Amino acid sequence: MLIPHPLLGLRDSQEFTYLGDAALMDRPDPAGGNAEAAFTDYVFLRDNPAGVHRELWFHEQGDRSWLVVTRDTVTHEILGAELARDVKLNEEGAQ
Amino acid sequence: MTRLNGGLVDRGTTLSFAFNGKSYAGHPGDTLASALLANGVQLMGRSFKYHRPRGVFSAGSEEPNAMVELREGARQEPNTRATVTELYDGLIARSQNHLGPLNRDLLAMNDYFAPFFAAGFYYKTFMWPRAFWEKLYEPMIRGAAGLGRLSKQADPDAYDKGFLHCDLLVIGGGAAGLAAALTAGRAGAQVILADEDFRLGGRLLAESHTLDDAPATGWAASVAQELASLPNVRLMTRTTVFGVYDHGVYGAVERVADHLATPGPRVRQSLWRITAKRAVLAAGATERHIPFADNDRPGIMLAGAMRAYANRWATAPTRNAADPVAVFANNDDGHRTALDLMAKGVPVLGVIDPRPDAPRLGDYDLFAGGVIDGTKGRLGLSAIRITQDGRSSWHRCGALGVAGGWNPNVHLASHHRGRPVWEETLLAFVPGTGGPSGLFPAGAAAGKGSTAAALQSGMEAARKALAEIGIAATALSLPDAEDAPIRQAAFWHVPGKRRAWVDFQNDVTVKDIALAHKENMRPVEHLKRWTTLGMATDQGKTANISALAVMAELTDKTIPETGTTIFRPPYTGVSLSVLGGGDTGAHFRPKRLTPTHHWAEEQGAVFVEVGAWMRAQYFPRPGETHWRETVDREAKAVRAGVGLCDVTTLGKVDVQGADAGEFLNRLYSNMMGTLAVGKVRYGLMLREDGHAYDDGTCARLSEDHYVVTTTTANAGPVYRNMEFARQCLWPDLDVQVISTTDAWAQIAVAGPKSRALLERIVDEFDLSNAAFPFMACAEMTVCKGLRARLFRISFSGELAYEIAVPARYGQALMARLMEAGADLGVTPYGTEALGVLRIEKGHAAGAELNGQTTAQMLGLGRMVSQKKDSIGAIMSRREGLAADRRRLVGLTPVDPAATVTPGAHLFAEGAARSMATDQGWITSAAFSPHLGSSIGLGFLEDGETRMGEILVAANPLEGQETRLKVVSAHFIDPEGERLRD
Amino acid sequence: MTDLTPITALGAKTARKETYDALTLSENPELALASLALRRDQTPPSPFGLRLPDPGHCADKGSVAAFWTAPGQWMIEAPGRANEDFAARLEEEVPGGSISEQTDAWTAIEITAKNSAALEALMQKLVNLDPAQIAPGHAARTGLEHMSVYLIRRSETHLAVMGMRSFAAALWHALVTAAARIDQTA
Repeated sequence: MLIPHPLLGLRDSQEFTYLGDAALMDRPDPAGGNAEAAFTDYVFLRDNPAGVHRELWFHEQGDRSWLVVTRDTVTHEILGAELARDVKLNEEGAQ
Repeated sequence: MTRLNGGLVDRGTTLSFAFNGKSYAGHPGDTLASALLANGVQLMGRSFKYHRPRGVFSAGSEEPNAMVELREGARQEPNTRATVTELYDGLIARSQNHLGPLNRDLLAMNDYFAPFFAAGFYYKTFMWPRAFWEKLYEPMIRGAAGLGRLSKQADPDAYDKGFLHCDLLVIGGGAAGLAAALTAGRAGAQVILADEDFRLGGRLLAESHTLDDAPATGWAASVAQELASLPNVRLMTRTTVFGVYDHGVYGAVERVADHLATPGPRVRQSLWRITAKRAVLAAGATERHIPFADNDRPGIMLAGAMRAYANRWATAPTRNAADPVAVFANNDDGHRTALDLMAKGVPVLGVIDPRPDAPRLGDYDLFAGGVIDGTKGRLGLSAIRITQDGRSSWHRCGALGVAGGWNPNVHLASHHRGRPVWEETLLAFVPGTGGPSGLFPAGAAAGKGSTAAALQSGMEAARKALAEIGIAATALSLPDAEDAPIRQAAFWHVPGKRRAWVDFQNDVTVKDIALAHKENMRPVEHLKRWTTLGMATDQGKTANISALAVMAELTDKTIPETGTTIFRPPYTGVSLSVLGGGDTGAHFRPKRLTPTHHWAEEQGAVFVEVGAWMRAQYFPRPGETHWRETVDREAKAVRAGVGLCDVTTLGKVDVQGADAGEFLNRLYSNMMGTLAVGKVRYGLMLREDGHAYDDGTCARLSEDHYVVTTTTANAGPVYRNMEFARQCLWPDLDVQVISTTDAWAQIAVAGPKSRALLERIVDEFDLSNAAFPFMACAEMTVCKGLRARLFRISFSGELAYEIAVPARYGQALMARLMEAGADLGVTPYGTEALGVLRIEKGHAAGAELNGQTTAQMLGLGRMVSQKKDSIGAIMSRREGLAADRRRLVGLTPVDPAATVTPGAHLFAEGAARSMATDQGWITSAAFSPHLGSSIGLGFLEDGETRMGEILVAANPLEGQETRLKVVSAHFIDPEGERLRD
Repeated sequence: MTDLTPITALGAKTARKETYDALTLSENPELALASLALRRDQTPPSPFGLRLPDPGHCADKGSVAAFWTAPGQWMIEAPGRANEDFAARLEEEVPGGSISEQTDAWTAIEITAKNSAALEALMQKLVNLDPAQIAPGHAARTGLEHMSVYLIRRSETHLAVMGMRSFAAALWHALVTAAARIDQTA
């Protein structure tokens, strides 16, 4: 597979380490009312769609960027890739 | 040896080779198969199940029959197709799958038991009695199974791998592929043209066609020449593209030196991973046969192969007018074999064509509406029976070409679960949609098999593919070429009572398919497994479609309704050696060496692999006869004087930025932001699920600069997690991280005399306890101006330091410390002694931080700060973890001579050995030279309240039971006075 | 100056150098390295007058050079200055940046070729990068025989391969093995 790195172009997936669901970026509020339940969901529950999935890839043998890659798990087609840092900062900016 | 006229062999050079011990001669340009045929050898092997005599059937990689053991000794390679084995001087080959000489195979008696070996015989026969399977059936089957023999020696040759990138990959170098490559090459695109053959041209080399009224071979040669002259084109002959992978990645094997006796300094084969923006599949087509009674005798081959042998290799299976060649064809194309052979002076019996209206395309006898329904000849074809208009007659016949139509080679287009579609006008499957994106089928592979159509479609495919990536390619002026229409009958087999082979390699007959049908093994997947159709080295390239046709006929369905099995890589067999790409033995993975590695080697150290690292395990001295003797001495030397250990392998990460302290607060369970500059703190990281993850130290070098250490094993993962936290969780923090593991050589200087030793090398630095207490750190210089970092930390429980210098000085520093500390008894120690020292001190390591343990279990529960959040803090408080009562304890044997065994489980004396009564387990153990006995660490229910209790450690795997006493995990200096001294 | 004698990453007193017809491989132990990462909201500086290169690129100016390593992070190179505290010099140039000494974290192997074709043939055997991603003026980090390396294409005929110092022997072995084979087929 080839991952379209937003800064470096197409790079072989062997340079990357796969983590999984990009929902892992949404760490619950530890001071929230139901923190333990929220963390239980965060740690143990993941969506596993057959279809479009937003997932985290680490460019370990590259620039050490974490990417959010949008991939169709059925066809392996990659619909886009963004720097996770930008995604997170944008989310926070939007809130 | 006699040859026909013409051909593409170099008659000026003679190559000698041996087959079954007999010497023959051939020429450059020959394959083993063509050279054997030229020498009148038709019998080349025996079939898999029935040991029937077999000869060459094809002229390419689809060959089911002519497989040999090539070469000798360690290079002996079984199941090598003679049809694609390039002849070289001194080639040695033997036929395979027979007992005794090839012409009198003792296992040929299997043929008489053929009814016993019918479809599904494995499943039916070896079921009962059950006990016979392991003792009798399996060994018997294994003995008889397989075709050729392995050398059972290590492969002496080198293999490697490589990576290529291109705009357009053209797979196949026949008419379509050459046109595609030329179109793209002239457009300036980066082109790779790969062909499995050693000469470009594909079927153009095998046919008598002309292009612009000149031999097509001349056109192929001139295009090849032009392509070779273009710097943007890479020609890869002897290269099979065997699979398509995601996003335009193609796997290919280049047979770099298979055509040589030995590779010499070269690699034998290369595995290429080709990343292509677009690709053209011009893999051609494979001819199919027509099953009829006794159709497997040597001398019966595909009609197109017969043409290839005549036109390209100037040889024919028979030259004898009394034993002429016949052709059995259900299509016009097959008739051309008769024409080409006649043009070369080969006697031809005629063409038998089941079509009543079959055309006569030349001056040969035509048996229109006729079929062949019988053959004779024990080791080679001698006669055929022709039935026409209800009358049968036997005819002497030396060889028979069979033409059942052509199957486009849709394999690569059908990877990624692409499904080929049935094209009724061609009576063949052609590439469908849903296959690999960016792959454009062309030429015969796309069902465009006339030379003119192949050239045109190759050019068009290239233009279309390149247009998608923004490269405009102009049309070629293509030569005039034959454009004969495909005319054929849907005539799939000749019905009859005798066996008619469909799959030669697996000995699957029409009857076997009928039996599978009768036994309801009708879906193609079931048919394949029940009969073994389409398995083994040729994957049924010449058999599958004919078999589908037979099954379709039996089920009264159409062929497309019957369907094909899934196509998967590889297209042809790929050796495991080349898939390994040379990563064998010591090349399996690279090694990491510590900065003092060469010094340790000189000291005679024994090394141990720790991940990729090679670490000194212990340093035996002359006279020491057992590793324990060495390790005991090293451990004692540390506690009595001073020892040195290279600890560079621990991960080091520079953490900088205004928020570095806050960042570390969130990563470590304990507080790091409050750490004073010039101080070190032990840190424990949790996983987000609350379990203990990794431990290490944080040293604060300045307000916004920390150096943290990780365990050796987790250096990579912890760094990855830091980047995750920094980029994905808290990108608003001002923090930067970078690994510096390799930059600094770090040496542990441990023992009561460590301060005295270090005082001899530091440059005016006050090491007194007051000035540089336990858990202090500093940047300073040693050995007259060498920058260094000094940390007063201890893994052994003794007064100890770790000193880091730029890695290039590590070895010199080690040597200097050894020299300077000679009178202090300075001793190098390895990972074994390190382990003994830490177990004696009760420090957790990998066996305790195994991913199943919590901070509380480790006795570090109070380290998990309640004042702040950190990764894993919330989940560490959940009931399931917080309620875990197991605690780290020390264990000593009641009988001092007994051994504490890691992995053993702990039980109360007299309790049953069960999960319910399990009280914990032993994680680490060592012989303690200071206590004079074996000692261990383990987790025990309510461990901290059970000091002095006697337990039993059970190790049922080895039948061991040992009585142990529960003690503090801190066997040495439980108050921690020594390290603060 | 310290009285300790350094060794190269390959464990010798002097740098190793080997030539295979069209390719020459030389260990470059005198190369000083320091990483520079920008603090939050820090304006990219120009240390030693060097314009820090864009992602995937390298640049040089006079006696120093740099290559991009990560968003907001570069490696600064100073040939011949490995025995200095180069990171300290860089800190003077870029006050307030996050700087780490990296001189001995990496072993640099300089590969020079008679022509670019030989260099590209070597790279094809070692790294899975599109030639455009490692054209002159480019730098990339990637995997090479399971090791993590930086490739810096200093010119058409000059490539530096930097591997982790602990892997130096394995990296050298991988490079010379491939170079020797290129030689056979060139």
